Amino acid sequence: MRCTKSLSLAAVSACLAALVAPTGLLATKHPKFGGTLRVELHVASVSLDPREWKPGSVTAAENMKVASLVFDRLIALDEFGRFQAALASEWSHDAASKIWQFRLRSGVRFSDGSFLTPKEVAAALQPLLPPALQISATEEGIQIRAAHSTPDLLDQLASGRYFIFRAHPDGTLLGTGPFILVESSPPAPAEANPSVLRPAHMKFRANEDAWAGRPFVDFVEVILGDPPLRQILNLEVGRADIIDIPPDLVRKVRQDNLRVWSSPPYTLLALRFDEAQPAASDPRLREALDYALDRETMASVLLQRQALPATALLPQWLSGYAFLFGTPMNLDRAKEIRSALPASVAGGAEPLRLRVDATGDLMKLLGERVAVNARQANISIQPVAHVPTSAGTSATNSPSPGLHLFAWHYDSLSPRADLQALAQHLHSDAGDESLAESSDPEKLYADERRLLEERQILPLILLPEYAGIAPVVRNWSVTPSGEWRLADVWLATAEPATSNNESATGRDTALGVHP
Amino acid sequence: MISSLQNAVRPIFDRPSLRYFPFLTLLFLVFSVLRAHPASSETLSLDDVVRQLVERVAAIPNLHSPLHLEFIQDSVVLSDTGKDWQEAFRKEMERHHLILTDDQAAPLLRVGLAVTPTQLVLSAVARVAERNAVRIITLPRSSFQAASLPIVPIRIERQLVYQGPDRILDASSLWNGAEGGMALLAIHNAELSVLRLDASGGVKQFIALNAADAHPSRDPRAELTVRAADSVVLLPSKSCEFSWASPAEARCRAVKPTWRGSTVLTPPCDTGGWKLLADGSDWSTPGVLQVVPDGSQREGSAALLSDFPGPILSINGEQNPASALVVTRNLRTGNYEVYKITLACGS
Repeated sequence: MRCTKSLSLAAVSACLAALVAPTGLLATKHPKFGGTLRVELHVASVSLDPREWKPGSVTAAENMKVASLVFDRLIALDEFGRFQAALASEWSHDAASKIWQFRLRSGVRFSDGSFLTPKEVAAALQPLLPPALQISATEEGIQIRAAHSTPDLLDQLASGRYFIFRAHPDGTLLGTGPFILVESSPPAPAEANPSVLRPAHMKFRANEDAWAGRPFVDFVEVILGDPPLRQILNLEVGRADIIDIPPDLVRKVRQDNLRVWSSPPYTLLALRFDEAQPAASDPRLREALDYALDRETMASVLLQRQALPATALLPQWLSGYAFLFGTPMNLDRAKEIRSALPASVAGGAEPLRLRVDATGDLMKLLGERVAVNARQANISIQPVAHVPTSAGTSATNSPSPGLHLFAWHYDSLSPRADLQALAQHLHSDAGDESLAESSDPEKLYADERRLLEERQILPLILLPEYAGIAPVVRNWSVTPSGEWRLADVWLATAEPATSNNESATGRDTALGVHP
Repeated sequence: MISSLQNAVRPIFDRPSLRYFPFLTLLFLVFSVLRAHPASSETLSLDDVVRQLVERVAAIPNLHSPLHLEFIQDSVVLSDTGKDWQEAFRKEMERHHLILTDDQAAPLLRVGLAVTPTQLVLSAVARVAERNAVRIITLPRSSFQAASLPIVPIRIERQLVYQGPDRILDASSLWNGAEGGMALLAIHNAELSVLRLDASGGVKQFIALNAADAHPSRDPRAELTVRAADSVVLLPSKSCEFSWASPAEARCRAVKPTWRGSTVLTPPCDTGGWKLLADGSDWSTPGVLQVVPDGSQREGSAALLSDFPGPILSINGEQNPASALVVTRNLRTGNYEVYKITLACGS
């Protein structure tokens, strides 16, 4: 019920009765410190070493989400488009945006109590930065020199893998972030039933000396690799506070009246042609397949409207101009082009083999849908199973595929950097150097159009991220690049009757005021 | 040139800390030699960008009107900008003698306005000689917001008296309330600070409370009590007294804080007090200020409600029985705002 002062006195009284009397309206409530936040992610493992992350991979996105608990970046971007000081307190650049100076915040400590120094910042960033950017330590900060104008450097440094850390010789990394990793255990047989694997588990405790302030919760527990349906059950019964939800289960979670958060579409699902199968190198076949793909139906039916059709390589929320690329579907045109090709190309005994480069039912279904669309244009596509081995190679014995269905996560807040990374992924060499040289939006558009017209990659759909959030979770917010701000989350659990008692939900509620 | 946006786009403080910052002086000299970065689009308004885009559209070779115009606008941008820019675009087209028509068979000109994490993107595409001619102009989001924020205080029952990007913990009227002005307890560059502002919002004094040695906290609780000679800042674990005349001599001691109780205002026509209440339990949702009669015998009789653009973070009515200062964080702009709440008589 919404009340305004223009209401009559009687109505106002009713409003007051409804809003005030039953709840015993309190003066401003404030967040509480304490408790343990329980997070469940579907990935089976995470790496906290940014040097190991593969750009654009979905696992790297999950890594970033967890790493943001323990590491900080030089700067941050808020949801209003403003860069905020983080480990860098001030920054400046020359007229050409080639020389950037960052002054470090003073007094910042790593989790072992030692001070952050410019040399450590330079050492952390150098292996992460593109070769065209050279970093050096100065007396009070760092300097980054670019081979060409880099006006989007802040966009890059505020996102992606550009975390600041200190690497110890034994391989462990220390951070300055709001939490400290205190436990990490791999999947192990459950004690009660050794045939069942207990999922991997990580525990983080609040960093009392975090430069931006101690987090509200005392601990964050992260459970990895639980099946999605079990995660949902855990959320329903109060055993989990935050879970990630696969897009195909979002409707179910909403029907269960659970709180669901959704992001802009951070992940692109797309097809990539691989010339290892000769038919895939035929530009007319690529064009015909592009016209045959029914992206609208993939998003609305297969994904139950939890995805968006993709007609560009960069999403609208990132580039701002994706709408300029029209919808290419034209089945008649697809058939016409196909009919001009020899029947043996992607047909008959030699279908175009489609390998799905990610696991999960959704990807498998999408691959089958691509095959159905292609068949309507008389293009024969055969999905082939792909089982990655522990060494990262394919275990399949089938011949080389001509098509890959893959997922791409937009890591950077710089559309230019994202497009360049995608181009590098496509060409698997140094990529398109011209993409590194300008952030002019019209040039970026032209480059993206050129990549689309090459049709080495055919975008299919864009996937948002979904999270289920328990009612006790307050002040939930997310960075523009999709990281969860768990340091600002607090738990609205009831105060325990005594410090030794557990609350009604059975959770750890050692709530109190931060000294 | 310092380009951290909280300083460059909308300077709020005198930034006294920078006076002690020789590093910046060095940078300034370096970049003066390298030629200062031009202000570029940071000072552009949306109207300026619309004008530029139309100029560039009008210059597309072989573009012939009449054109059928179609606008595409993100819902996020729509709530921020409305559709005024579309009218401005039409007028600029007319000024360039480009005729618009409702005829759907005419060549299509599609114009989009979108928001990205860092920019507003205004784009146009026209079909010319079987090819798409595309023109795109961008504007930093932060500069657009700064230019578009209402700077004239609004006054219905409340008056916007201050806004800025730095986190404000509490606001208090000054002891000499008749002259106006207020003091703000804020976090500036991660330091606890007190600002004294005159009635026009100008910063008269900036005090960095170094003596408080306040460890940064995510707990928004902090209170500022202003008196004529000295003032008190109350934090979750300590209390600090300082004088306006010699702020460097601030003295702090550990205390278990007793936070101020409900704020009660007394309007001129009612001897009874009215209590100001808000539920600031979730910073991600806008707050509603409720003004209810004080005293148990009067509760439930009536209430005034006022929607705020963000969560209500503090309410302070200590200095003036007829008004209070309310701190909120505007969820649309991200700025912290201070409103003066006055209980006036009559509708």
